[in-house]
Amino acid sequence: MQDIAPSTLLVLVPLLPLVAAILTVALGRTLGSRAHLPAIAGIAASAAVAITLLVGMAREVGVGGSGHDQPARPVEMVTTLWEWASVPDAQAAGVATATNLSIPVALRLDPLTSTLLVIITCVGLLVAVYSIGYMHGDPGYPRFFVLVSMFVFSMTMLVAASNFLLVYVFWEAVGACSYLLIGFWFTKPEAAKAAKKAFLVNRVGDFGLAVATFLLWMTYGTLNFHDTVLADGTTMPGILGVTRLADASGYVGGVVGTAICLLLLLAACGKSAQLPLHVWLPDAMEGPTPASALIHAATMVTAGIYLVARSAPLFVACPGALTMVSIVGATTALVAALIGTVQNDLKRVLAYSTISQLGYMFASLGTGTLLGFTAAIFHLVTHAFFKALLFLGAGSVMHSMGGVIDMRRFGGLRRIMPITAATFLIGSLALAGVAPFAGFFSKDEILASLHSRGWPDAHGEHHEAVPAGGHALTAGSFHLVSVTPDAGQLAGGGRGSQLDSLNHPSTWRLLFWMSLVTAGLTAFYTFRAVFMTFTGPTRVPEEAGRHSHGAAGSAAHESPPVMTIPLVILAVASAMSGWLLFNSHALATFLAATPSFTAPSVASTATPPAFHWDLAIQGSLAAAAGIVVAALGHLGKRSDGPQMERFLGPLETLFANRFYFDQIYAGLIVKPLEFVATLSAVIDRYLIDGTVDLVARLPFALGAVVRHLQSGLVQRYALAGVIGMLLIVLALVARAMG
Amino acid sequence: MNGFSPSSHLLLTIAAPLVGAVVAWALGSRGVSAVRQSAAVSAVVTLGLAGWLIVRFLGDAAAVSGLPFALVEMPWLTEGIFDVKLSLGLDGLSLWMFGLAALLSVTAVFVSWDAVKDRPVGFYVLLLVLEAAMLGVFAARDVILFYTCFEFTLVPLFFLIGIWGHDDRRRAAAKFFIYTLTGSVFTFLGLLAIVLWNASHSGTVTFDIETLTDAMKINPMPMSAEGGWLQMIVFLALLAGFAVKVPIVPFHTWLPLAHVEAPTGGSVDLAGVLLKLGIYGFLRFSLPMLPEATAVAAPWLFGLGVTGIIYGALVALVQTDLKRLIAYSSVSHMGYIVMGLFALTPVATEGANLQLINHGISSAGLFALVGMIYERFHTRNIASLGGIASKAPWLTVMFMLFTFSSIGLPGLNGFVGEFMILAGSFQRAWSGVSPVWQTAYLAMSLLAVVGVVLGAWYMLWAVERVFFGGSREPPRDHGHDAAASHATTGSHGSHGGHAVPHDRCDLRWHELAALLPLAVFAIWIGLAPATFLRPAFAARMRLTDPAAQVAQAPTP
Repeated sequence: MQDIAPSTLLVLVPLLPLVAAILTVALGRTLGSRAHLPAIAGIAASAAVAITLLVGMAREVGVGGSGHDQPARPVEMVTTLWEWASVPDAQAAGVATATNLSIPVALRLDPLTSTLLVIITCVGLLVAVYSIGYMHGDPGYPRFFVLVSMFVFSMTMLVAASNFLLVYVFWEAVGACSYLLIGFWFTKPEAAKAAKKAFLVNRVGDFGLAVATFLLWMTYGTLNFHDTVLADGTTMPGILGVTRLADASGYVGGVVGTAICLLLLLAACGKSAQLPLHVWLPDAMEGPTPASALIHAATMVTAGIYLVARSAPLFVACPGALTMVSIVGATTALVAALIGTVQNDLKRVLAYSTISQLGYMFASLGTGTLLGFTAAIFHLVTHAFFKALLFLGAGSVMHSMGGVIDMRRFGGLRRIMPITAATFLIGSLALAGVAPFAGFFSKDEILASLHSRGWPDAHGEHHEAVPAGGHALTAGSFHLVSVTPDAGQLAGGGRGSQLDSLNHPSTWRLLFWMSLVTAGLTAFYTFRAVFMTFTGPTRVPEEAGRHSHGAAGSAAHESPPVMTIPLVILAVASAMSGWLLFNSHALATFLAATPSFTAPSVASTATPPAFHWDLAIQGSLAAAAGIVVAALGHLGKRSDGPQMERFLGPLETLFANRFYFDQIYAGLIVKPLEFVATLSAVIDRYLIDGTVDLVARLPFALGAVVRHLQSGLVQRYALAGVIGMLLIVLALVARAMG
Repeated sequence: MNGFSPSSHLLLTIAAPLVGAVVAWALGSRGVSAVRQSAAVSAVVTLGLAGWLIVRFLGDAAAVSGLPFALVEMPWLTEGIFDVKLSLGLDGLSLWMFGLAALLSVTAVFVSWDAVKDRPVGFYVLLLVLEAAMLGVFAARDVILFYTCFEFTLVPLFFLIGIWGHDDRRRAAAKFFIYTLTGSVFTFLGLLAIVLWNASHSGTVTFDIETLTDAMKINPMPMSAEGGWLQMIVFLALLAGFAVKVPIVPFHTWLPLAHVEAPTGGSVDLAGVLLKLGIYGFLRFSLPMLPEATAVAAPWLFGLGVTGIIYGALVALVQTDLKRLIAYSSVSHMGYIVMGLFALTPVATEGANLQLINHGISSAGLFALVGMIYERFHTRNIASLGGIASKAPWLTVMFMLFTFSSIGLPGLNGFVGEFMILAGSFQRAWSGVSPVWQTAYLAMSLLAVVGVVLGAWYMLWAVERVFFGGSREPPRDHGHDAAASHATTGSHGSHGGHAVPHDRCDLRWHELAALLPLAVFAIWIGLAPATFLRPAFAARMRLTDPAAQVAQAPTP
């Protein structure tokens, strides 16, 4: 593939799944039970291309080459396909903001994008293969593969898009795919409801992205990430282009900068199911399990992480907003883990676990250090493997149990489905952060990034690197805000936003401890699920035999190879990827060349790669504690027996009711809005329309017209019109004569 | 092509539906199918002619740069001080509306295919006459022709609603007719005032819109106490008719009634084209001819637009009748257009202009689909419908497509206009003239973005209730996950009178013919809006620039 230009390859990554989707729509009925072929072929080819691009990109960056000593130089490639819309600003005079609107459909390739492209297409491929077995015989079989292909297309476009509008476009497009997949079994009212809920909650997040986009456009005069050369030869610096990145004062802080970042955070909270917009994700489990694995665990929900990481320089210029990212993340991680400890639906345990793990990533991003950003992406990668594995494992259980997913109704399944059990165990070890599985390493880095902010003296390296520059641009009424928090305190004079006061080592210490507690809880709920499902006396619900007409439960079996092979591949990745990527420092070095991370304010926080023994021991102790407690409560016991939560007392009610988020939203937003809507309808009918009717009746003459309406008003009107015109013309003539 | 000038091409395009109307009338004795076939042929031929004319327009560099295209001028009274001509032509502003009118007429004929069995001759003749009037109003280049066509669109629609409508059709037709007519009378007076103002200065009585526009630049109407605020008064007079037509809240109550009672074909034309006449009027007359008054009124109308967005969405949320819900969604969407128009920034007005087309496509599609649902299940009551997706998958796919278009999903047309309008509104807030208005503009723009969330709410909720969920049919096997919840299936939803056999429930060929062209344009505009923006840009710019300049100028 050396002969093909990288830009062509880049276009192929999203294009192939799109073609697959269109082919499946066209040929779905003809293909019948082979309707998966276009999707598998398309996504497989796309994955191959994505890997080729990753290899090429790695060579470009020089991963594995000599030094970590010199700062990474930005590597990117942008290809513009067509001009989506443009409005030249023809109002030359008197315009306060001479802002052209020019939106190209431009794709980009850089280390961050190429990493995510590989994850999306590879996990997508495995999920698609798995779905051949899982979705077999479903009447919507072709539709499922159309939607999965459309999703892979949209998601690859989202991470490859090189301007904020295009990101918004595919941000909503993946939301639409998610909507259609959650509501895949649309005859189930719960599924239809969950789909709508997911879309609406995401729309609240999209509100943030939309407004952030408008503010970015007003502030920076463009929406492009990359620099563009204009017709007159000058360069228009993109928001995340090399020109602005190199400029230490290229980013707006203050109120506007903070507003932009908080709006982006709102968007990320919607898509990545963070507090307070997390409520849609558990309900989204109504969708087919492979879709949950791909969209609601491995890829789409990480879009928020991507957005914040991509916008790193914007956030670093607003320390207050950055701290909020960590606060939201760590809080979400803790709250979701607490809720996860009392869930009895295996998929919902995993859903809350996903919310919690995404919270970890946000906590890491919010540190604003290079380590924090790369650790978040590192965790994104390992999480994609082990969480997809766990979901597909849960799907395998569900497949075998005849659709039952309540853990209290089955047990001891390791004897019936050994491959599922073994792979699920590996995924659980990775999730719980047990060495040497993947999650251990990525979680360690996240804890390290938080630790370095809470106890800066223990991490002296990054302090020395704080640049002298790093002051944010002041535009109009916006005031000077320094880029790095520490320098900001020194500068003193800069009046940052109120949020900046949150950025204090004690905050970070609290966040660190919250994350450590979460690590213990994670290990607990994960192994509670493992023990409830796979240990204890073997029990199978009666639904399990239903689809093969055998005796109740007799048909419970291990899933077919088409489902277990993806499990095994993901298990290998979950076991190895953490150690491989950590030990070689390949991922961190590679990601550091992402343009957004080469901004001086980010790059200057680089620390030499290190393994933090102290943190590793703390994290492992937490995980071990969680596993031990889970074992005491559930190992080898009947899962329908008394549960651990009886020790929680009133907290159990709080956790089981998911901290009452749904009820609070219903009471504070939905019901009042419905009341206002009803009120508006009444006003519309009686006040507004009533007034209109009244006015129409007031003049008696008009009333007469109404009564005789059916008897030829139209002709009369036409006549009146002609007479009127004549009168006017006559008047004009008279005037001219006179 | 030399022998066939654009001018005669334009005349032929407008005449084609009239000829079709005569043919349909002549074929009346041959029964329903002959009549509807001839109507379909005329509508399709007209669309072909209009499409070809648009292609010729796009190939003409002068036309794209803002000059009028396919000029037709017929002297009428050119003696003494009179310089009255009937003149026709297209420019970038009218181009796409002209095409939309032709496109939606095809849709209107095909959706009426099975729905109208009663007195088909009258129905199709009126539909074709309506098409000619709609084409005429967009091609009109003088005030007389414009106003004649503007009003004449009411007459066929009045009969279409009054005769072929639903139960309460007479009241709806009367209200629609009188309400819009009352408003338009003031518009007519306003237009006359402009003509007379010009006559008193130039000494020539002309009705030519372009001449008037230029003249109003040289001799603007007074906008001060000494001049009696004449410009403002004329602006308000024009507003009276245009605001009812759009409709701008609170002058909208005729719309839901008219839509609910109108036959589907009438609803398609009403929502798709006739609502746009008000905005078109603002663009053609108010903004270029009365820029100072426009700039003064703009913040208030911007506010009314935002009010309409939120208010329309809220009222739509609690509707029980699917067609009424779509009608209120129109009120909400027209609010975006009003808001964009009166933001008076290049991006916002460009977005408003494009959104005219987008709303025309998505609302026409949705009204057409509601008509199809009504034909199948004999109800539009949301509570009585349910689970249509299992019975009519392609109908559902189409409804989802136009729903997504309506709620502004990127990749489809609705998003483009909405995005540009909102971006332009924020631009207005940024370039704010005074801090007070700046804050107000910012708050209103944010509210408008909230409207985007509400829009998704009422539409997707309706989709959930109408298309998803169980139906009365026995539950099918939905694979493994669904097994657990089969118990709940079937207890939900019970549609009345399931008269159509199962195999005939999905879209038929003529329904597909009505919807597919709209779907194609919904996707096309979504993916490559630049194709549609570029030819309209210069003409639209020339018309909105005077008011925009005033709005931008710092006020003391």
